[in-house]
Amino acid sequence: MPVIPVDGAEEFANQPVLAAETRRVAGASVRLHDVSPERVDTVDPLTYEVIRHRLTSITEEMGEALKRMSGSVVVTDCNDFDAAIMDEVGDVVQVGLYNTELAASLDMAVSWTMRHRAARPGIGEGDMFLCNDPWIGGGLHQNDVSLFAPLFVDGELFCWTGAVAHQVDLGGVSPGSWSVAATDVFWESIPLPPVKIVEGGEIRDDIEDVYLRRSRVPKLVALDLRAKIGANNVAHERLRALCQKYGADTVKAVMRRTMNDAEARLRAKLLELPDGSWTSVAHQDSARSGDRGIYKIVLKLTKEGDRLTFDFTGTDPQVDGLINCTYAGLRGGIMPVFLTTVCGDIPWAPGGLWRCIDIVSEPSTINNCTFPAGIGKASVASAWATTNVATECLSGLLDAHSEHRKRMMSVCCGTWDFALLAGVDQRGGGFVTMICDSMAGGLGARSDADGVDTGGLACIPMGRVADVEMNEFAFPMLYLWRREEADSGGPGRYRGGVGASSCFIPYDSPLGGVHLVVSAPGKALPLAAGLSGGLPAGTQYDVLLRGTRVRAALAAGRLPGSLDDIGGATEMVPSHHETDLGPDDVYFTHWQGGGGYGDPLLRAPAAVAADVASRKVTPQAAATVYGVTLGADGQPDLAETERSRAALRRRRAGLDEAEPESARS
Amino acid sequence: MHIDDNLEGGGDGTVMCRHCGAVTGTLGDPLRDARVRESDPREAGPSVHADAGNFTDRPVLLRQTFCPGCLVMLQAEIVPGDEPSWRTRSLAGPTAEAGQ
Repeated sequence: MPVIPVDGAEEFANQPVLAAETRRVAGASVRLHDVSPERVDTVDPLTYEVIRHRLTSITEEMGEALKRMSGSVVVTDCNDFDAAIMDEVGDVVQVGLYNTELAASLDMAVSWTMRHRAARPGIGEGDMFLCNDPWIGGGLHQNDVSLFAPLFVDGELFCWTGAVAHQVDLGGVSPGSWSVAATDVFWESIPLPPVKIVEGGEIRDDIEDVYLRRSRVPKLVALDLRAKIGANNVAHERLRALCQKYGADTVKAVMRRTMNDAEARLRAKLLELPDGSWTSVAHQDSARSGDRGIYKIVLKLTKEGDRLTFDFTGTDPQVDGLINCTYAGLRGGIMPVFLTTVCGDIPWAPGGLWRCIDIVSEPSTINNCTFPAGIGKASVASAWATTNVATECLSGLLDAHSEHRKRMMSVCCGTWDFALLAGVDQRGGGFVTMICDSMAGGLGARSDADGVDTGGLACIPMGRVADVEMNEFAFPMLYLWRREEADSGGPGRYRGGVGASSCFIPYDSPLGGVHLVVSAPGKALPLAAGLSGGLPAGTQYDVLLRGTRVRAALAAGRLPGSLDDIGGATEMVPSHHETDLGPDDVYFTHWQGGGGYGDPLLRAPAAVAADVASRKVTPQAAATVYGVTLGADGQPDLAETERSRAALRRRRAGLDEAEPESARS
Repeated sequence: MHIDDNLEGGGDGTVMCRHCGAVTGTLGDPLRDARVRESDPREAGPSVHADAGNFTDRPVLLRQTFCPGCLVMLQAEIVPGDEPSWRTRSLAGPTAEAGQ
């Protein structure tokens, strides 16, 4: 069935607009606080630093509030959320250190709300707006539900705060709202444009019921709603205190100056870097279950003077599947790597940073899709692939500067290895959860150091992995292992950080088994590219073992340590799959590491020996990829290594085959 | 002008391998003269866990690019074989950075 275009969808196809436009439209219905440029320029430096750092700590307090009130392991133990403080028109002054992807489009959601909701139903004191429509912004896919709240001071809308977190289920054909067979958005959780769910400080029961009625776990989602309300309330309390102490005009002047400073410092850094263009590509295999395609996002990053242009011309058209992302997702793909590699020493004020960036992207492409394209996986599909290609290009730019190259990084953990479990838990209640073990992705290698092993994800600086015990406590599952996997980091002069694997069984569910949804590309080809001669990280690898005797082994006191130990019938899991795990079934999931940097044959032999000793690299890879010969004592035989590397250098270049020499065409 | 771990730009617009001095291209196309070889992705090592044919009908290959002089690997990618390489760069020239 072809995807049917929807008339009227264009109203929700949001694009960033200038602050003046938001002010013009919304200002007719609500008084907006403002300060003059002169006021901004005259904030004394000490007051500026005190208030600026206070704003940063407020976003951290918002995160703490979210975690303490949520009941979802995804929030409490994995930090899959973020918070932000925005000025009166939605420009982001400070974004939290949590999932920076999620916070990259809160400005779009607030601006849209001001332009479309200020008149009816109105924006007033004590109101909060809920949104999970990625075409408007506020998140990257429907699971990312944002709640943003205006703060009024002396009758004027002073600023906005926002909290956004992944909700484990908001309806759709498949549990977790991850409909792996989806061909368009109508298979998925239906997006909610901004709606006033809190009015004058009270939750609107009618709106809340509409929101929760779509979820398989409404009580959990309701608790997370209250957690987000709490986070915004904490922020408003702290901001009011700040305004009482320093005056609203001074606090607003600091907000403006933070964004201006971020812009100025970014421009200064860009002027230090060479002009040029860097082009790369990111692939994704499979758009939905049964699909065997490979889709590309192309990026040409041009640096000219103090501006950057991200040109995605050449990107594939949107697909009939769940992997597309909206324009908000495209921005959400750029911002995480931009913040961490380019802006590590600059205030994280996207409201100022975006002023230095132009984006060229054709609508109806895979990372700028039009409604009703499927987007259920957007955050970890096309948005993540956008992060990958942005990483390569930005790192190429940074690598051309003797000092700034220290901040570059190869691609980190090419994708999210998604495994969702659903069913009846050990307490007899229904449950749905995303297993977040792959938060422990391998980070990309750097120009002067290996990538951090299981160091995390580039897009979530403060991401965490739930303890095995926490997952086993919360859900009917039992781990056989969770461990780092050798060779999963991309080989290089500097090695990419390794990823890891988890292996578990359903355990203690009254039903015996659980439902499993898998969405994990990177199996046909690795997605964490290397740089400067470094190899990509390993491919994704997921396996189902059916009808095993693992329970008998456990009963006999034996803990299986490998897939061979487990036995059973092996099924290699495709990129998208939905099935049931029976009581005798085992699921193994092996996620990706980070890309390498530099030619592996230039890696110090002693470093390779240490890699083998610490099980980051297998002896096989040490010999065949790094060309290092190890003695019986595990130490490198330097003479033999030199000979081996000379031979490998020729063999991998095809010089010892019957191939004619060829220049690159 | 430092370009990456293997390449540096000369003042005349050429790009050279920093390990052996061989010219690999120009600032506008730093890998223009490099040696390219395409092969089975499993030559990348044991980290490629399964044949791509299990998951896709498109050809997938390992494309490695080498210095024509010392054969140091300049670029490596595992990509669909029916696409050209999208990984390119073009630099305008040295900045006024001290020490470049």
